[in-house]
Amino acid sequence: MCIVVNTKYVVYVTTIIVIILIISAVYVYIYDQGQIADMRSMIRGLQSDVANLQIELYKYRNLTLVDDRGYVLNLTSYPNRIVSLAPSNTEILFAIGAGDKVVGVTDYCNYPYNFSAWIEADNLTSVGNYWTPNIEAIVALEPDLILAAFAQEEVVNTLRGMGYKVLVLDPGNIDDVLKDIVLVGRATDRNIEAAVLVNNLRRRIDAVVSKVAGATSTPKVYYEVWYDPLWSVGSESWEHELIEKAGGINVFADQSLKYFETGSEAIIERNPDIMIFPLGHGAGPPFWGSFDQMKARPGWDAISAVQNDRLYTIDADVINRPGPRIVDALETLAQVIHPELF
Amino acid sequence: MTTTVMSANEVETTYFRRASRWKLIVIVLAVALTLTIILSLNVGFAQIPFSTVLNIIAKRMPFLGNLVDSSNVSYVEETIIIQIRMPRILAGALVGAALAAAGVVYQGIFKNPMADPYVLGVSSGAAVGASLAIVLGIGFTLLGVSTVPILAFAGSLIAVFVVYNISRIGSRVPVTTLLLSGIAVSIFLSAIVAVLQVIAGERLHIIVFWLMGGFSYVEWKDVLAILPLICLGTMVIYFYARDLNILALGEETAQHLGVDVEKVKKLLLIFGSLVTAAAVSVSGLIGFVGLIIPHMTRIVIGPDHRILLPTSIIVGATFLVICDAVARMIVSPVELPVGVITALSGGPFLIYLLRKKKESYAI
Repeated sequence: MCIVVNTKYVVYVTTIIVIILIISAVYVYIYDQGQIADMRSMIRGLQSDVANLQIELYKYRNLTLVDDRGYVLNLTSYPNRIVSLAPSNTEILFAIGAGDKVVGVTDYCNYPYNFSAWIEADNLTSVGNYWTPNIEAIVALEPDLILAAFAQEEVVNTLRGMGYKVLVLDPGNIDDVLKDIVLVGRATDRNIEAAVLVNNLRRRIDAVVSKVAGATSTPKVYYEVWYDPLWSVGSESWEHELIEKAGGINVFADQSLKYFETGSEAIIERNPDIMIFPLGHGAGPPFWGSFDQMKARPGWDAISAVQNDRLYTIDADVINRPGPRIVDALETLAQVIHPELF
Repeated sequence: MTTTVMSANEVETTYFRRASRWKLIVIVLAVALTLTIILSLNVGFAQIPFSTVLNIIAKRMPFLGNLVDSSNVSYVEETIIIQIRMPRILAGALVGAALAAAGVVYQGIFKNPMADPYVLGVSSGAAVGASLAIVLGIGFTLLGVSTVPILAFAGSLIAVFVVYNISRIGSRVPVTTLLLSGIAVSIFLSAIVAVLQVIAGERLHIIVFWLMGGFSYVEWKDVLAILPLICLGTMVIYFYARDLNILALGEETAQHLGVDVEKVKKLLLIFGSLVTAAAVSVSGLIGFVGLIIPHMTRIVIGPDHRILLPTSIIVGATFLVICDAVARMIVSPVELPVGVITALSGGPFLIYLLRKKKESYAI
């Protein structure tokens, strides 16, 4: 039997098969390329993940911090036992959510919690007062980070000499306070919390500044640090900065000091419109006497603030501590200086 | 009229009896000082059992080290005992010894019961130096060492140098002039400290605490810095104890008895000031020790400087170690300035001794 094959069909079929083969080859080729590309990108992703992890790991191993005195501190791990040597440091630590790492505070620390009750209940240890912290008490707590503050050079030197990790927070102005919050955030692995807090504080500061920008007057403000002898604030203090930001003029703005002794004569001559007295820690009206007794200080009846009864108190803890509550102080001052705007 | 004349033999026996009694006194007091130091190692904020304290000390001894089992001693306990308590206690002992020695010297030279180590302006000179360092706040460290003790040391020596040269007439230094110029310079320097305190502003507290004196932040390097100065100084002073006895008879008599009065006086003043300056540079101003300890020992032991000096030194050291222990114990964790404790305890005790000793008392 002879099968007659039409060559025409053979050509058709072969062509179709070849075309199918080519198409599928192309398809397979393209598909593979896609797969490879996917895999490549996956690998690239993994590589960058690894690189990021390495960077994180590097940061974790070598966290370099520079404190307010220019001291460079390398942290090899995040601290778990922090001792705070100042109320402001304690407030910063608790504000950024690192309060659970705090094992020691000073007797002056009283915010955001009633720490003396915690100390009574043995949940926290006191390391003494601010001016002369007890070095033995600090060491006994086995701290892996100590946050000191200004005027503690002696104890800081001794602790560093013994190999303890100490950061000194000594901000000179509001911006420095915010920077310190970020620094503490980096040191305690609370970067995000610190950033959120600083952002929030900045917004509140801007709100006050833009509000008082619309004021028609800038009252002269006298701030009394201490009575007998009289001490006030010069342009280097953050009280000065707060007064100016709150839309007032510090009557002693020309004194390029932080704090200085002055006298009734100078105050009467500068004739402030508003007088502000920090209240607490043995300072302020209950200690020096009532507002009436202040107004009765010799010659003070000539002062505009006394005549118009514009004497105010402010919580000394809030305004004296370079922590997050410094913005509370700013808002209070703005309300006192420009009551018409609030 | 009968006069008792001792034979040479009798003199010799009396001398040896007295010498052996003195030896006994010094040994007993030295043992008491050692015990005080060991016991005060036990006092502090951290509750560390006495056995652990002994363990930590024994571990560092050359032979005992191999015998004790120190596996249960924690690193923190060791740090507290070795790095914190040891240096401050030893500094307390050294400073107490230095102040007591200088007190004996000055009371002897000036023949004045009010004389103390600070009579030549050492304290006010140191105060100016320390306040200056604090006010300038030169980073607080210079070549790794705190500037406060260095400037305090320099200030006190400069003050003494000035006082000495004010009162010098030719090669002689009359004690009355010395005493008065010391007071004058002290008053002048105190005024400078007051000015510095006003300028210091928010650093005022540091000056105030320095002036009150204390051992809260003493480190080993402080102890090692003052140790040679105080040891050398007290040794030189002890070498001249015999001359101090003769000086008590009056400078003229001493001169006739063959003592080079001006030379002895000069040397004693130099080394008395040196040990005081070393002490003050580390501890700040601690009052009453240099005044009261010599009087106390003189009342009990007698005025012979050969025994008065060593006993005063040991009693001074013991007294200050105890006072420092009380200072850090009494309102823990807050530490009281040690000067408060020395005054509170030393004053009444001296009054008690003065009242108890019925016969009149003289240097």
